[in-house]
Amino acid sequence: MVRSFGGGTTSVSSKMPGRDRARPSNCFVLNFDRPFIVAFTLFLPVLAAISFAAEPTRDSDYDYDPPAPGSYSLPVIKPAADGALLDSNNKSVKLRDLTRGRITLLSFIYTRCAAPKACPYATGVLTQIHDLSVDDKTLAKSMRLVSLSFDPEYDTPQRLAAYSDNVRDQKSGCEWSFATAKSRAELETILAAYDQAVDKRQNPADPQGPLYHTLRVFLIDREGRIRNIYSSGTLDPRLVVADVKTLLLENARVSKQ
Amino acid sequence: MKAILSDWRKSKKFVEQRAELYHLWYRFNPMSSGRKLGDEAASQLASRATLVTTARPTNPTKMKTPLNHLHTARFSRAIFCATILCTLVFSANVLRADETCSSPYLARIDGQEEFVYVWTLGVEGMGDGSDKLVTVDVKPGSPSYGKVVSSSSVDGRNEAHHGGFTDDRRQLWLAGLESSRVFIFDVHTNPAKPKLTRTIDNFAETTGGAVGPHGAYALPGRVLIPCLSNAKDKGGKTALVEYGNDGNYITTHWLPTKEDARGASGAEFADGYGYDARVLPRKNALLTSSFTGWNNYTTDFGKLTADPEAMKHFGNTMVMWDFHARQPKKVFEVPGAPLEIRWAWGDKHNYAFTATALTSKLWLVYADDRGEWQAKEVAPISDVKGGVLPVDISISSDDKTLFVDCFGDGKCRVFDVSDPQKPKQIYEKPIGKQVNMVSQSWDGKRLYFTSSLLARWDKQGADNEQFLRGYTWDGKELKPAFDLDFTALKLGRPHHMLFGSTKIGANRTSVASIR
Repeated sequence: MVRSFGGGTTSVSSKMPGRDRARPSNCFVLNFDRPFIVAFTLFLPVLAAISFAAEPTRDSDYDYDPPAPGSYSLPVIKPAADGALLDSNNKSVKLRDLTRGRITLLSFIYTRCAAPKACPYATGVLTQIHDLSVDDKTLAKSMRLVSLSFDPEYDTPQRLAAYSDNVRDQKSGCEWSFATAKSRAELETILAAYDQAVDKRQNPADPQGPLYHTLRVFLIDREGRIRNIYSSGTLDPRLVVADVKTLLLENARVSKQ
Repeated sequence: MKAILSDWRKSKKFVEQRAELYHLWYRFNPMSSGRKLGDEAASQLASRATLVTTARPTNPTKMKTPLNHLHTARFSRAIFCATILCTLVFSANVLRADETCSSPYLARIDGQEEFVYVWTLGVEGMGDGSDKLVTVDVKPGSPSYGKVVSSSSVDGRNEAHHGGFTDDRRQLWLAGLESSRVFIFDVHTNPAKPKLTRTIDNFAETTGGAVGPHGAYALPGRVLIPCLSNAKDKGGKTALVEYGNDGNYITTHWLPTKEDARGASGAEFADGYGYDARVLPRKNALLTSSFTGWNNYTTDFGKLTADPEAMKHFGNTMVMWDFHARQPKKVFEVPGAPLEIRWAWGDKHNYAFTATALTSKLWLVYADDRGEWQAKEVAPISDVKGGVLPVDISISSDDKTLFVDCFGDGKCRVFDVSDPQKPKQIYEKPIGKQVNMVSQSWDGKRLYFTSSLLARWDKQGADNEQFLRGYTWDGKELKPAFDLDFTALKLGRPHHMLFGSTKIGANRTSVASIR
């Protein structure tokens, strides 16, 4: 079954046979022989929310058909800055190495964030896109996800590794790196370069988390240039995938010339 | 039930809720510190829970772990339930406030506005004679309530007109219609005393010939600057320009014309004129309106209106764009210079209002039953012969009330727009001899008015009142709260207002202080 993304019919449309196998059409079965299961049924929507990602579709929050990949252009915004990082394996890496060679989605997060429209949402969208790449070889080999924490004191490599294990539904699919800045000074430089505003909340025990920040996810092309910036109002997985595919088509056109 | 679950799983809320659970689980699980996240029961619980509802017998990897393994994770189960509870609690809307016509991408003020920033035209011989950003304290109970607390002048007179914040609300960009310069102020370090940090003074050269920058509209990581004119003939054909929050130019999108409609329908109406630009994110809809070019807005008003040829050069269109692609999709014929655009805020309110300055009409741009965008005239603004020159409108956050400022007779007219197809005037009040901009607080209880339209279009003599006036609104009546005479204060002609605060979701401590 072929499902088109971004409203277009391009050569890079997504095939999701794995999904089809996983969800036979006649598989809705309830088991009421355990009280706990009954309790679960009362929370069906919440429980469904924890399940693995499905293909994103038009809904009331994103009530439109996204433009077809390649039918529009994404202007260069600026070069993606470099910086010294520690990844979730406690290895030193350069941000430059995580933003070149593949089309990269770079998301600034911190794991203690509980603001519904911020990090949880951004990571959820990245999870969804990662899931899509499991069944899309083009995305799997051409795309990279990077979740970069701006809370290095708390988000140690060990915590990022644990976080990574929990937000990633699939072990296969495109590369997904979790990292944080190597030092406070490096973090400040990176935040300034990416215009990522972060403030300490007055109440450290604020239920939404100790830091206030704007949501930023960056689309970076293979040459390391920022081509789009998303926030909660524009971080529609369909638009993001359409943008990634637009850049892929752009690469294909350039290589033909 | 299956269909409902399936639809819900595909929704944005699905993404939010699932991710929230991941995050909340992580936060509240004491076992997550320094080791692999808990005993993984949470994530396994998730997949097993799905098994309950979808029972995927064909997926052997998921069937390896039977549901009754859950009894080994009682502690995790309790945490999981707490997580659900926390998710529901934290998902409740946080009470936030702001001006009702601000960009939906803008960081919001927590609580009530504390300052009104007034972009003010300099007047020769008055004070320093320069355009300036005037900051007025509007904190209730403040000793300086209703008073100017700071004023920061820019270089010379530029026909100060509109401005806008960057999405993080750290910068305020203020544009000059005549000079095409854009002044960038830091409003983050000290919101009571904004500081000029950068001036863009090569706008026409950089943008490929767009001039007359008309404010700045916050988009994620960048601003959209709708323009009024072009460098080539200084007429009305113009463009939308994008700059990064760092002040660097990104790109230019020219408005569609008959000669180059860029695929838009309604090309026969396309005049290429511009004025306002506003987005309805959930419909991926960008709507633009149209005014007139540099030649006209820098001409004396009496001379202009006496010139029939010049009066032909006003915009008569609005354009609906695919916002993400920045491509014009449909040109509407809206005669008489449709100016400010106000999208409704309601979740299912797919419409925007505008007022036509030269014909004194309210227009509605709306999605019809088929989801097609349409534009139609929905109400006259007064029955005064010759019109009242409506110049600014402000919609309440509940979409029920529309305030319409009329420069011609200095009145604010209030319409009940509960039925957007049939607005009804319910109130009017003279604000001054002339009135121009109106800004409304999110709770609808406070409105602020300024007086100046354009340096060469303002009234003369005793009618040339220049003020910032604060009012309260109780749903029935506008009552004066404070009055600042900008002439007596030697400040100039006040035009656009924007709200400031020290409380934008957090205090103002830099992340560098987090230790």
